[in-house]
Amino acid sequence: MAAKRTMTLNLTGAEMKALEELAGRKELSKTAVIRQALRLYQTVDSRLERGEKLFFEDEAEKKKAEVMVL
Amino acid sequence: MSRAPVDLIRRSDGALVEATLIDGVQPEDLVFVERDSWGRVRAQIRGKLRAGSVPRAEWPQSLHWDWSRKAAELTLLEVTGFAILCDEDWQAIMLTKTASYTARLSADKGKPLVYIDYIETASWNWPLPALGEGGRYKGVGLILIREAVKQSYREGFHGRVGLHALQQAEGLYKRCGMTPVAHDEKKQGLLYFEFSPAQAKKFMEEGGEQ
Repeated sequence: MAAKRTMTLNLTGAEMKALEELAGRKELSKTAVIRQALRLYQTVDSRLERGEKLFFEDEAEKKKAEVMVL
Repeated sequence: MSRAPVDLIRRSDGALVEATLIDGVQPEDLVFVERDSWGRVRAQIRGKLRAGSVPRAEWPQSLHWDWSRKAAELTLLEVTGFAILCDEDWQAIMLTKTASYTARLSADKGKPLVYIDYIETASWNWPLPALGEGGRYKGVGLILIREAVKQSYREGFHGRVGLHALQQAEGLYKRCGMTPVAHDEKKQGLLYFEFSPAQAKKFMEEGGEQ
């Protein structure tokens, strides 16, 4: 396993609440949620850089909307 | 990169043969293996299947794969490459993803899992009855599926693993105790399988196929 580095993360109360809620719902540690977010952001960014688009699809409503990513 | 000893089963006599499991395959490895080894053997098998007029339905369904085209995926944080080495040859490769897919089983819906994006044994390990070839080694699939479950535990995903199976491989995943969830029209109609945490635990405790 790759060596890990430690960093301090400063979050607002609302951000920490969201992090804790996600960690609870996904059965992950807070660190794992942040790690997942970084992995997903990198994957999405990489595919957008290649010219692909990101969509959210509601199959029941037959709706599809492009997601804009910073 | 880490290495660990594993045992493969030689099909000709059932003997256990020592091999090495690698966690941390690099992009250049995939280019090398397809260019210098697997690609050449794939071409030979394709030629024999054509010469023998073997119906397409009996051709190995991953015969057209090209691992060098998947090399760029390994630059992403969420992608991990595993391989099994034996006889100085690559016997199997697996790529997993940890962020792009989530669980579909109703009790775990939306929770993270290890998704097996690609898994393949070397073409000389394929049993090809139509060509009278029995294949060199077996057991690589089980070793790699166990490794995916171990990765799921390391990531804190509680053993959850998912994959879309080629039709010829569905039996293996059923025998492992994975749930066949549904055919997925967005993945060429392939059947999606998933390990729940309880199924993964049972699989690891029992050591393999049921």
